[in-house]
Amino acid sequence: MFQRILSDIALMSAIGVVLAAIMVIAQRWLSNYGEVNLNINGKRDLTVKGGNSLLATLSDNQIFIPSACGGRGSCGACKCKVIEGGGPLLPTEKPLLSKAEQAGSIRLGCQVKVKSDIKIELPEAIFNIRRFHSVIEEIIDYTYDIKGITFKLQQGETIDFKAGQYVQLETEPYEKVKQKVMRAYSISSKPQINDRIQLIIRLVPEGICSTWVHKYLKVGDKVNFTGPYGDFYLRDTDADILFVAGGSGKAPIKSMLEHLREIGTNRKMTYFFGARTTKDLYLTDEFRAFEDVFEQFEYVPVLSHTLPEENWNGKTGFVMPYFKDAIRDPKNTEAYLCGSPGMINAVTKSLIEYGLSEDKIYYDSFG
Amino acid sequence: MDYLKTKSTTTVLGDDMKRTPQESKIMTKMQPGVITYGGFLGTDRRDFTQIIADDELTLEKLGKTAEEIADRLEYFQQQSFDAFESNTIVEGIYEVETEVVRGYLPCPFMHQGIYRKSYTTVTNTRTGKSFSYSALNIHLIRAHHFFEGKKSHFRMEPDELVKQLF
Amino acid sequence: MDISAFVLFWAAIFTSNILLTNFLGMCSYLSVSRELESSLGLGTAVIFVLTVTAALNWLVYNYILVPFEIVYLQYIVFIIVIAAFVQFLELLIERYAPALYYTLGIFLPLITVNCAIFGVSLFMIIRNYSFIQSVAFAAGSGIGWLLAILMLAGIRRKLKEKLVPVGLRGAGISLIITGIMALGFVGFSGIVQIQ
Repeated sequence: MFQRILSDIALMSAIGVVLAAIMVIAQRWLSNYGEVNLNINGKRDLTVKGGNSLLATLSDNQIFIPSACGGRGSCGACKCKVIEGGGPLLPTEKPLLSKAEQAGSIRLGCQVKVKSDIKIELPEAIFNIRRFHSVIEEIIDYTYDIKGITFKLQQGETIDFKAGQYVQLETEPYEKVKQKVMRAYSISSKPQINDRIQLIIRLVPEGICSTWVHKYLKVGDKVNFTGPYGDFYLRDTDADILFVAGGSGKAPIKSMLEHLREIGTNRKMTYFFGARTTKDLYLTDEFRAFEDVFEQFEYVPVLSHTLPEENWNGKTGFVMPYFKDAIRDPKNTEAYLCGSPGMINAVTKSLIEYGLSEDKIYYDSFG
Repeated sequence: MDYLKTKSTTTVLGDDMKRTPQESKIMTKMQPGVITYGGFLGTDRRDFTQIIADDELTLEKLGKTAEEIADRLEYFQQQSFDAFESNTIVEGIYEVETEVVRGYLPCPFMHQGIYRKSYTTVTNTRTGKSFSYSALNIHLIRAHHFFEGKKSHFRMEPDELVKQLF
Repeated sequence: MDISAFVLFWAAIFTSNILLTNFLGMCSYLSVSRELESSLGLGTAVIFVLTVTAALNWLVYNYILVPFEIVYLQYIVFIIVIAAFVQFLELLIERYAPALYYTLGIFLPLITVNCAIFGVSLFMIIRNYSFIQSVAFAAGSGIGWLLAILMLAGIRRKLKEKLVPVGLRGAGISLIITGIMALGFVGFSGIVQIQ
């Protein structure tokens, strides 16, 4: 009787072990893709571990394709050309790729799995994007909801960027936030300083990263980020400049002006900073100081909703009527705008009415 | 006749058998810290499908569709965009302002498409009541009839919206 | 048993529908029938898993459990075999048919706990079916399950919620509809004998 029980248990266990062994072998064999060759632009060859998405595989090898949704297949920012080895087009990719793109071998990097040797094409600018390790060096409170944070690069790293570009910060888990997220912020410091960057970060309602930055980050904390991204940067010409940016859009303008101060210029420049009340003003002293540094620079804050008790003596209303006085030769004037698409549209329309050419109006519409 | 309303007493993330795999994934996306800091469910213990069903019932009683509400919210947002996002007065009684920051949010219902981080606040100057919402909220209301869970930061009660904004 | 496999196949779909006659597999049936497309996906996966696990379990029963006299452990062993097979299938599909994996694969873990799968394996043992009879019965049961869930999904889609009293919305009205469908299927009973 006892022997019977033992032998039956042994048999049960044997069945269980056999099945488990089959599962382990299947897992090894089916989920293991070994090492495969990743060829980029016909020139670079990387040996990578198979089985992950193209986005993750490239990221593991320090090549960063842009992604706005964190690799979940929602945004389409990770489009890249897969010449061969990407497997069949997946149902998760179809909604985000046009017919022309599908015909042209464009795929979503976050959905394509690297299972065999694969050949892809990436724009050269991507190779300048790197991941940086930094430590918080300084935190300045500019206004009730805007902080300026300086990130000092570690391990001798340096960053090569143009004034006007942005980076993507990686948050660390905190409170109920269990995963890391990436959020983009414009660089507000000059490119000539390449071992640290400053970001201007506004507290956004329900924002995962801005809440983390405003409530938890302290001097000395470690933070990682990738960059630089973006094609909003200063053009090297002699034309007059109109800068238009409010709120956190001031950051790339600060970077551009500091850069110009470093290299020296006598271009005629005007910066229109639109805001609502005096509570929204920040870095006023620094920008007034630019007026002393440059021969022809004017800082023009324009407030739309000041109350009498604020005693505001500056310009009021919207910025657009004031453009007229700042434009002397519309055909030789460039405009640099940073803000939402709504603002960009309204300002662009106004500038074109004043005679500027559309191809000299450069903008960063926040993504 | 409230006692006849079905009340879900299952815990938020448990009971995966009663949900399709898709719904389980959506529930995960709605938790705090995944897409937004506070998540989309607030302190609500109901399933998101139940929240939608209950709000749809309220809308039926009010005689307005979710699409009409979304259109109205979008109208206010558009008015303030046209006014360079500054404070603007619409129809004489609504004060509207919109702020936009860099970046996008995906929809927790996991279809493609991302939504700008534009935050609009509308205040009915006659009654003093204010509503805050993002571009994502407009989409959630229009496409999914989803007004977010109770006590969620961007939850707007459908009956309040109809009373104050129309 | 001398019933032809062909007859068993059809019987499993109509006269002895695994869901509408035997009321097995209700849980995922009630929830997934909310969407027609998901129902089709889940039903197809159920057919495949049912057929293969019935075959596997028949082999395990007759070549391992019976010779070694551990028939009383059939419940545990069947469940383990089903779980292992579903897991294996998921890995296989993910590797060789990634497009299929995205449409179908998400349902596979859901199927493991579907009691219709386990129920069919038990039925074939209780009724002493041969291998061919078991496979035919399982395939038919799968198709019968698919039929039932598609019907309910179609009806739910047509039934706009506002026609239903508040207290019955959701599970309540689904169960009533299922009951009425089951009554309809009772009309098939007695046509053939399956045990």
